[in-house]
Amino acid sequence: MQLSKADLLKAYRMMKTIREFEERLHVEFATGEIPGFVHLYAGEEASATGFCMHLDGRDKIASTHRGHGHSIGKGCDVDAMMAEIYGKKSGLCGGKGGSMHIADLDKGMLGANGIVGGGPPLICGAGLAAKVLKTGGVAIAFVGDGAFNQGTTAESLNLASVWRLPCLFVVENNGYAEATSSKYSVSCDDFTDRAAAYSMPGIAVDGHDFFAVYEAAGEAIKRARSGGGPSLIEVKLNRYYGHFEGDAQTYRGVDEVKNIRATKDCLVLFRRRVEGAKLLDASELNKIDADVMAQIENAVKKAKAAPKPTAADLMTDVYVSY
Amino acid sequence: MARKITYQQAINEALSQEMSRDPRVIIMGEDVAGGAGTDGEDEAWGGVLGVTKGLYKKFGDRVMDTPITESAFIGAAVGAATAGLRPVAELMFIDFMGVCLDQIFNQAAKFRYMFGGKAETPVVIRTMYGAGFRAAAQHSQCLYPVFTHIPGLKVVMPATPYDAKGLLIQAIRDNDPVIFCEHKVLYTLEGDVPEEPYTIPFGEASVVREGKDVTIVTLGRMVHMATEAADNLAKQGIKCEVIDLRTTSPMDEDTILESVENTGRLVVVDEAHPRCNIATDVSALVADKAFDSLKAPIKMVTGPHVPVPFSDVLEDLYIPNAAKIEAAVRLVMGKKN
Amino acid sequence: MANNQARGAKVGVVANPAAGRDIRRLVAQASVFPIAEKRNMMTRAFSALGTTGVEEVLLMPDGSGLSDRIQRALKLPLPEGQTWPKISFIDFEPEDSPADTLRAVKRMVEQGVGAIIVLGGDGTNRLVARAAGNVPLVSLSTGTNNVFPVMREATIAGLAAGLVATGQVDVAEACYRNKLLRLEVNGTPSDLALVDLCISDELFVGSKALWRAEGLDQLFVSFAEADAIGLSSIAGLIRPVSRRAPFGLWFDLCAPVQAARVVTAPIAPGIVVDVGIEAVNSFALGEAVLVRLGRGVVALDGEREVEFSPADQVVVRLAEDGPLSIDIERTMMLAAQHGLFVRNTPVARGAGVRTAQGG
Repeated sequence: MQLSKADLLKAYRMMKTIREFEERLHVEFATGEIPGFVHLYAGEEASATGFCMHLDGRDKIASTHRGHGHSIGKGCDVDAMMAEIYGKKSGLCGGKGGSMHIADLDKGMLGANGIVGGGPPLICGAGLAAKVLKTGGVAIAFVGDGAFNQGTTAESLNLASVWRLPCLFVVENNGYAEATSSKYSVSCDDFTDRAAAYSMPGIAVDGHDFFAVYEAAGEAIKRARSGGGPSLIEVKLNRYYGHFEGDAQTYRGVDEVKNIRATKDCLVLFRRRVEGAKLLDASELNKIDADVMAQIENAVKKAKAAPKPTAADLMTDVYVSY
Repeated sequence: MARKITYQQAINEALSQEMSRDPRVIIMGEDVAGGAGTDGEDEAWGGVLGVTKGLYKKFGDRVMDTPITESAFIGAAVGAATAGLRPVAELMFIDFMGVCLDQIFNQAAKFRYMFGGKAETPVVIRTMYGAGFRAAAQHSQCLYPVFTHIPGLKVVMPATPYDAKGLLIQAIRDNDPVIFCEHKVLYTLEGDVPEEPYTIPFGEASVVREGKDVTIVTLGRMVHMATEAADNLAKQGIKCEVIDLRTTSPMDEDTILESVENTGRLVVVDEAHPRCNIATDVSALVADKAFDSLKAPIKMVTGPHVPVPFSDVLEDLYIPNAAKIEAAVRLVMGKKN
Repeated sequence: MANNQARGAKVGVVANPAAGRDIRRLVAQASVFPIAEKRNMMTRAFSALGTTGVEEVLLMPDGSGLSDRIQRALKLPLPEGQTWPKISFIDFEPEDSPADTLRAVKRMVEQGVGAIIVLGGDGTNRLVARAAGNVPLVSLSTGTNNVFPVMREATIAGLAAGLVATGQVDVAEACYRNKLLRLEVNGTPSDLALVDLCISDELFVGSKALWRAEGLDQLFVSFAEADAIGLSSIAGLIRPVSRRAPFGLWFDLCAPVQAARVVTAPIAPGIVVDVGIEAVNSFALGEAVLVRLGRGVVALDGEREVEFSPADQVVVRLAEDGPLSIDIERTMMLAAQHGLFVRNTPVARGAGVRTAQGG
């Protein structure tokens, strides 16, 4: 696996942007200014980044409740995302979607999804379209450990295998489906055991290690692009925050998150690796940190100042023509 | 050039012509080819009732048999529609919507609004509905009111071969998700259908009988029951205007209201169960917007609030018929039955 | 069976839940070994250990569900006719990382286990070897992608481990000592490999497994079998060296187009490729070789583990103080010779012999 300096900088910027976006939302949500439910991706950045770094305009992804990271990875506009989460007219979805439904079809982002397990069937369709239209594109369904038990996921694994679709099923296993442990709720001892039942390869990667995710993603995507069919990848990772903002997380161990942050922070691990190997200077990475902070600060300011939708917006956008 | 073909042939012809016209149109569903992976014929069925027969031979891999996994393939049709295809998915019986409803009402129906008007989801879900086949409670329902309730879906209910072809071509060319409901009893109905492709716009009801005394609003198979009733009543001097809605979403409110303003009397005929169905919807519309035109209370003729029974005696009692419609019309005319 | 010597005997069992999940399932056709089967193997071994009189089995905790499943199994009635030893989990909070294995094995050794059963691949055994000291190992392969562990039925492995741990078969007779490849970075011991150590010009550890022939620069092997899978096959197909031979080999590799000699080797499951050979060297016990590449990764038993840069001095040394392995075949043969599984019963002589009349 070779990564150019430009790739390394891009990956770091992507991860940092996701982290800062989420950390800032955590702070802003507490003020009460953000409406509705917000599910944060902080801690899981290496996963979205490891996959999305390989994608281009041909490719489609479908996301989860916890969709901000995938959206940023797939190139959704950060200002518009922030405005959307604030429910503003300038939002990516005009304030009609919100955090759980951020999408940008032009970017190949088929949406965060308010329905657990909603994405995999759609991704079968996106993969089918790529196959029929011969675009060379791949389609990735990100699901959590909760959605991994949904019938839609099981059906989609089967359909993708039967039709040999250029699809990836990425199970981001953060250990909790809402407040229920995946150890309790997932019947197989290991997620990848299920892949064999659908005649596809199943592998597990450390989701705190960008390089591990990036390489596995690259191989799975290469396989899918070349007609090799779907694969299942379990990304073992952790979330820093609750299921949603406001979740007191009393189901987690006392120092669980503290320990994870101290030992498994994907950004820290990334920096240690590239700085240790002298592939990047700390100064280059610090500059990205500063850029991203300014970018997010700016996005929040703009989102807060932006106007809300008006009554005239209520009835539009239901149909293309009616 | 029009010639007589069946409702089923009209649907097949619409699919075939649209697939020839646009390579992005694909068909998927359980046994739409019927025979995939078997040692026998690869198009043994062509749909469970043979509606898609011949399309696999003509279009090969663009006609895809699916596993019996409705969530996956209906969802795949929806996803493919967002990614450049124009899929026509067949969900064998409308009764099976329950197993994949999420992909229809939370995904397909909502994308456009939820994503701020930027999504187009040109998917058609063809499905058969209705009683009359002795298929009992889980294969005979009229669930179209459920879809009519959901913003973002269009719901189409052709009553004739002509409408079936024109509305299906419109559905395939439409950029919104369309639930296309085919009454299984109508598949063998013959009618004049032009050979060339044509479209019928959604939201335009068809006035199949003109009359000044009573407006009968109906749809689907009930159109034929209503016209039979109207013809019988005409002989007794009661002139009914029969309106076939053709689509319940969008619904042609103007034609209904204009007719009621002329006749002052309304009978609504709907095969669906009586609660929250199209009959109640049309009645509410008229009560809301044309109450002053009414000379008599509105009457609804619907299936009863029970599951569709199996026994022929019971099923025949279940289905609204011309006699029940005639009785309702006489009632609103103030005549004794 | 009789087991008067068994009092207090303990055996450790290490099952790596992460083994058999790596990228080779994606890039090659490496075998998929369900965790459910690892659990089954463990319970079969428990039954065998109970038979030999082992009193306690110590297990490694893990966060991925394997120990949960064992704990659930312990709440159920035992399969009929089986007697399991007491099953204890070593008490620490697992990090779900290789550190768990090191920690668990260290504690097992401290608590005086007489043998350790290892379920996993070369990578798992490598970790166990780092901490096992003189405790003999029974290494069972959970997959077809390994060289160090053997494919054996877990029941037999359990019997062999139990016989050694209870002293019914003598350690010295039943075991052999493995060689070891030690990695030193900047003069400090860094890690070890049991079978092969390979230098590649890859920049990152990434997803660990090494399956590409491109960029392989040097290969060191402690032993090399002609029928092995993995990087050691490069050596095994040129010059096989047995596990017990007092030397190893090291190779300078290059691209096939630049090589005077090319070997076609199964470097990963399903991947049989050409590898260019620049030089073959005998590797004496105690000898140290300085790695020639400036920047790259070190793969230990097929897994990229250590990244190094031009600032680092990387040395590989062949050592003779590897882990002890229980030779299952020999152990069972000794047990048979000593009649350990056979006993006389008070039933009258001849009663158990079938007659032509069918008794």
